[in-house]
Amino acid sequence: MAAQGGQDAKFFQRGKIQEFRAELQAAEAKDKKFTKRKTVLKKIVANITMGNDMSPLFTDVVQCLGIPLLEIKKTEQIHLVIPSFLQDCNDRNPLIRALAIRTMSYIPIPVVTEALTEQLRHCLKDRDPYVRKTAAICVAKLYTADPRKAEKGGFVEMLRDLLLDSNATVVSNAVAALSEIGDRQDGVIFKLNLTVANKLLAALGESSEWGQIYILDSLLRYVPERHTDAELMAERIIIHLQHANSAVVLTTIKILLYLMNYMENRKLMDYICKKMGPPLVTLLSSGPEVQYVALRNILLIIQRRPSVLKNDVKVFFCKYNDPIYVKLAKLEIMYRLAREENAREVLAELQEYASEVDIDFVRKAVRSIGRLAIKVQPAADACIQALLDLIETKVTYVVQEAVIVIKDVFRRYPGKYEGIIPTLCENLDALDEPESKAAMIWIVGQFANRIDNADELMDDLTYTFMEEPVEVQLALLTAAVKLFIYKAQSDTSKALVHKVLKWATEEVDNPDLRDRGFMYWRLLAINPTVAGEIVLAEKPAITTDSDRMDRGALDQLLLHTGTLGSIYHKNPETFIRNAAGKALTDSPALNPLSRQVLVPLSRPNIPPAIHVPGPGPPPPREASVSPVPPTAKPAPPAPPQTGDLIGASSSADTLDGEGENEHESGEHGDEDSLASPSGSADPYANLDNAFGSYLADEPKPQADDHLTRLF
Amino acid sequence: MAIDGLVILDSTGRPIVQSGFRSTSPAYPLLHIEALNDALSKAPRPADADPVLYVPNTGIDGPSACCHVKRGELRFLGLMSGDTDPLYVFAFLETFISILRDYFGQLSAETLKENFDVVYQLLEETLDAGGHPSTTSINALKDIVLPPSLLSKVLSVAGVSGLASPGTNSHPFASPIPWRKVGVRYNSNEIFFDVAEELKAVVNKNGGIIVSSVWGKVHTNCRLSGTPDLLLSFSNAQPLTDCSFHPCVRLQRWSRDKNLSFVPPDGRFILMEYKYTPGGVHHVAVPFALKASVDCEVNGGSFDVALTSRLTTKVLENMNVELYLGEGATSASCVVSNNTSWNFDPRTRILHWNIKAVSPSSSFSLKGTFSSTAEQPRPSHAFRARFEIPQHSFSSLKVDQLKITGEMYKPYKGVRGRSTGDVEWRW
Repeated sequence: MAAQGGQDAKFFQRGKIQEFRAELQAAEAKDKKFTKRKTVLKKIVANITMGNDMSPLFTDVVQCLGIPLLEIKKTEQIHLVIPSFLQDCNDRNPLIRALAIRTMSYIPIPVVTEALTEQLRHCLKDRDPYVRKTAAICVAKLYTADPRKAEKGGFVEMLRDLLLDSNATVVSNAVAALSEIGDRQDGVIFKLNLTVANKLLAALGESSEWGQIYILDSLLRYVPERHTDAELMAERIIIHLQHANSAVVLTTIKILLYLMNYMENRKLMDYICKKMGPPLVTLLSSGPEVQYVALRNILLIIQRRPSVLKNDVKVFFCKYNDPIYVKLAKLEIMYRLAREENAREVLAELQEYASEVDIDFVRKAVRSIGRLAIKVQPAADACIQALLDLIETKVTYVVQEAVIVIKDVFRRYPGKYEGIIPTLCENLDALDEPESKAAMIWIVGQFANRIDNADELMDDLTYTFMEEPVEVQLALLTAAVKLFIYKAQSDTSKALVHKVLKWATEEVDNPDLRDRGFMYWRLLAINPTVAGEIVLAEKPAITTDSDRMDRGALDQLLLHTGTLGSIYHKNPETFIRNAAGKALTDSPALNPLSRQVLVPLSRPNIPPAIHVPGPGPPPPREASVSPVPPTAKPAPPAPPQTGDLIGASSSADTLDGEGENEHESGEHGDEDSLASPSGSADPYANLDNAFGSYLADEPKPQADDHLTRLF
Repeated sequence: MAIDGLVILDSTGRPIVQSGFRSTSPAYPLLHIEALNDALSKAPRPADADPVLYVPNTGIDGPSACCHVKRGELRFLGLMSGDTDPLYVFAFLETFISILRDYFGQLSAETLKENFDVVYQLLEETLDAGGHPSTTSINALKDIVLPPSLLSKVLSVAGVSGLASPGTNSHPFASPIPWRKVGVRYNSNEIFFDVAEELKAVVNKNGGIIVSSVWGKVHTNCRLSGTPDLLLSFSNAQPLTDCSFHPCVRLQRWSRDKNLSFVPPDGRFILMEYKYTPGGVHHVAVPFALKASVDCEVNGGSFDVALTSRLTTKVLENMNVELYLGEGATSASCVVSNNTSWNFDPRTRILHWNIKAVSPSSSFSLKGTFSSTAEQPRPSHAFRARFEIPQHSFSSLKVDQLKITGEMYKPYKGVRGRSTGDVEWRW
């Protein structure tokens, strides 16, 4: 064996079960130092690694368990399943004690769990911290195997007591185990009160980086009751923004964002925002994978706290050899951070990207130029010029993207840029994708009165009507009707609209198209004047509002900062089975605006859960959350206990109309700074929300896209 | 918050090492590996595959995701389900990779196969079955998992003496400081600091700097006996911003007076990372100038590049200028100045121009043409230039003094500077 130290590769040879068995038996003789048996075991493990089924050797290998050699024990316990660890649990070597319970906890078989339960009870109180910390994690495993039994056995309480252990690693592992248990939908609710939270913070400094992540993350389970509690805690953890481990940094940011919901001191909040910027920038100096995760999170953070990174748009400029996913994420952030002051720099960069190699990226860059024009009014002129320059290049995909965004620009600034329509019309032939074609047709129809040869253009465009995709057909139909209304005298337009309506209603199978055709036909037949008023009605101007995420949803997503949810910008319970959602919890310290948009969490089908109070002195106010009754509908939060929370009563159902009045301030500073008209100042301001669900059918600004296509 | 498991793939995408997926079905890792290989083959460049790959349907296990990084020829996969922090997975992968490097030196499929028993033991100690990272400090790990060279040496000298082999400390976690072993002894006590800085910049075609930043790392090699408590002070620490530190550094002390107070781990580690921000709004200057013109014609094009050093005393070493010639580029032919060389890699379609040493204020030129199967070749709009400047630091960070308390000896101290640059120069 000794000579074979570095030559284990030779074990990677396929072997037969019979041979191994024979070898193992042969090895038993004259094997004082167990080297022969070790060699055979290694071969077996190598075969398992290669995917060969070695289970028939089970019993033979079990016999080797008696060998008092650490390496062999590890080799076996790692890969094979044996319930004879009880002896090891009482070994004097703490490593072996820990290894034994750890391996047992891997095996979710009732017999093993039974045996483990007894051993675990001792190990949780072992004198060696290594055993205690391993035991803590094992409790989580035990809980997964049989939650109710683990609860009855008092293991949750034992874990809770470990939170006050003198060893920081033990504390952090206990936190990890409790969090795992608390994340289960059927698990015990794991809440922290101020005393325990402070104890955990004290252990923070001494624990490993992973332990720090667990402890920090668990602070989400602490609901501050007073502003000062949140503020003091933030001051204590802010220093961890300087940790070398990127996951520690991002978790710290998550907690700071969470605590800020419960703060009052503007100065401190501004300070925290200022402090959060640099570590986020530092994450961008790491590998592309970490950059990607950081960028997706930055995107969320700057929507909620625009003052973070406000002046750092330059760090998000793309390099040509960045992977595409990094580039696209950076592009989105550049757009979000664009303001009047930096619009010129951003535009120059976007123009640079429009000449890049990567087609996907070029398209997004062109589109961003248009969005920039829509978002930052003073930069619109320059952006339009940039788009025209791009159209000049005649590169097909660039032209198509440009046309698509220019359509939106027309809607944002009616009557300002129609002068460029002729240039667009020149490039009609270059358009071969449905989206750009539909956009161009919309432009032709909408401005038919300004385009001299509109009827000729439309005539050409409708030539292939029957072969076009539905998207284009719909656009053609609407444009033909608009053309007719503008130029009712023209014979071409009359013939055209008749032809298109006939196609749409008689020859097309698509019901949308047919219905819309009938509707127009009837409108025109009954009263052409009214039809004109309806079809050419003034459209609501496009804003960048719809780009913004709903504030309540944002608050909720930010609780998941760093997690999968924040990468995909979805709440995890919507795409991960068994994920427990997180939601801001109401408390007297929660700032009023966050409370208004509070999205209550529904925990459907919860079996009666046991609430375990924290260790130490009882909290001043019982921090328990009674299980929400099992309803499918999100339940409204508990009625406010004090009379001073006027805004709280309406927080339950709809979020309609919230987005608009917030938008203004969001551009300039924190959303919290807003003295919201629907805040506590005016007790009647929330009345419209009281009818929430009835208003659901009212057209909302977000829905106007559909209207546009219709008219 | 848990990592389901870790898989290491070789260059062909086959798994060589994987952790035991005990709480999932055996198909679970296989589905991820397949999904990843699939995504890699579909991506236009392998580097463009989504680093957090969403694996929607792994059968009974519900949806999950696979975080992957490539190091050398190996690809490391961290599998996760539930709402775990991908950054946490990446941080763990990074840690595990550095542990492997520390144990085996260069990483390759071959070394991992040769030492698979050690790799498995490491995996077992660093990531427990619940998916929680446990022991990742190299100092503590070496107590419980013997590095291969030491293992064979110990075994051959002493024979296998069971559990109480001399290398195995029976109280491996006895040290009160988690990152430092107890009872470290060296004959000569020495500590070295390597200040490595990297300039990352983007320059527009007129030579104007769009973005430039300098990131620094203080690599430390500590060979000190006992439990020394060090105080490192810099003479000019003010322009260092955005610092992040090894866990051993006392953060309160740094925020108070910008001195680093710490009990170092044994061996190599990165003490701190920082960003250098010169006072005011100045940019860090790029130490060379590039004048380039690239013309594209039908099925090819020509380019003319001149590079001049802006340094007055120091030499830029190993200057490498790259230009991606676009999809379809087939060949290039160039004329270059003396002492420089060029080559074209038809696989990546990148033209490389290498200059061993750019002495102060010297100039070099590269002229040539390329041909392409694309009718309108689209070379990238930027050159990428990388270089090194030995014995130099952009920030000119100076160590003022190193004080040691808690131990009686006087250690030997060494400080070295080293700079690299990665500049994107648009044309």
